[in-house]
Amino acid sequence: MPAVPIAAPTIEPGLQPGPDSGLRSAEPSYGGPVRVAFVGKGGAGKSSIAGVFARLLARDGAQVLALDSDPMPGLAYSLGVPNRETGIPAEAVEEYEDDSGRRRHRLRAGLDAGAAIELYSTVSPDGVRLLQLGKTRGVKGENSLSHQGYQAILDALQKQRSAEPDSTGSLADWAVVGDLPGGTRQPFFGWGRFARTILVVVEPTPASLLSGRRLARLAEKASAPHVVAIANKTREEADADLVQARTGLQVIGEVPFDPAQREADRRGVALLDLDSDSPMVAAVTRLVSTLSAKEPVR
Amino acid sequence: MKVAVVGKGGSGKTTTAAVIARTLARQGIPTLALDCDTNPNLGLSLGVGEERTERLIAVRDAVDEGDEEHAGSTAELLDRFAIDGPDGVRFAVVSAIDNPEPGCP
Repeated sequence: MPAVPIAAPTIEPGLQPGPDSGLRSAEPSYGGPVRVAFVGKGGAGKSSIAGVFARLLARDGAQVLALDSDPMPGLAYSLGVPNRETGIPAEAVEEYEDDSGRRRHRLRAGLDAGAAIELYSTVSPDGVRLLQLGKTRGVKGENSLSHQGYQAILDALQKQRSAEPDSTGSLADWAVVGDLPGGTRQPFFGWGRFARTILVVVEPTPASLLSGRRLARLAEKASAPHVVAIANKTREEADADLVQARTGLQVIGEVPFDPAQREADRRGVALLDLDSDSPMVAAVTRLVSTLSAKEPVR
Repeated sequence: MKVAVVGKGGSGKTTTAAVIARTLARQGIPTLALDCDTNPNLGLSLGVGEERTERLIAVRDAVDEGDEEHAGSTAELLDRFAIDGPDGVRFAVVSAIDNPEPGCP
């Protein structure tokens, strides 16, 4: 069946691919650490790229927090850590009433977000700290305390992100790499609120392109600050152009189809621990440089 | 027969569901294919095409808007919101993405 042309979504001017191919953002840059969130269709390669990205960023000297907010977590595999539960435990969270009497949750007294990350994350090779959302529901279907604790970390990161450049705090130096749930249900509200750049991972296949376009549309509705695409599993030169044309998003990185990644998937190991010279690693290395140039590591 | 296909993202749920639906329909069994994914792509795998997939009115959206306040039966809803796909598979999208809510992933 011939492809049906569908108008590309309108993207704010700052996101249009321009004559200079460098990243541009509507958001003022203050030289903070890299903070990105990977989104895209299930199976597009979010976790695979995010794991390599986080470890390479750490090799560059950044202090990196990897956040897996997928209830079916997979980032542990691509980081190369045992996939045991590594989230904020219930005992680290307390309930309180706000001024209007609403029940809310926060990290228990004396525990700030930075300390909670140090305490409860799992450290990967190259020193990336991994936190998982894990199980989101308690026995009665309510949000679990663990879930609330994870949200408290996101809140703290968001608060810190919007703070003045010279404000100091235990979170100011953390680079953050988020792996969001697959699909389009609500990638921008909530789970990606720590990010300065949303990276939409898109394969050059009809379903993945369609998801990429839907995400672009949602991003526009949500006024997400800076949304760009990564063309993944490309096999032909035209694939990255196809992703740009069909999603309306600027493609800032291209990751070729890599048999080494498929083998790493099959064995359940990190690509970096299997073949650190593979084409995918080279491509993600370039991606780290691109984003670090825009969002300098300090 | 009522079958639900589940699994990890990218593992092949949609492709499997589409092949099952069309295979049943080819055997002469009246078949209804429901896309319950909030990022619905089943239309592409069934061969309905991208444009019709995107335009298909989501049953639940219409119900949520009160459009079907008095529509009782499932059959009536499907008459109105499902379309005929290849091999005679009836196809409807149950949920869609236009109004993502904060909260659960």
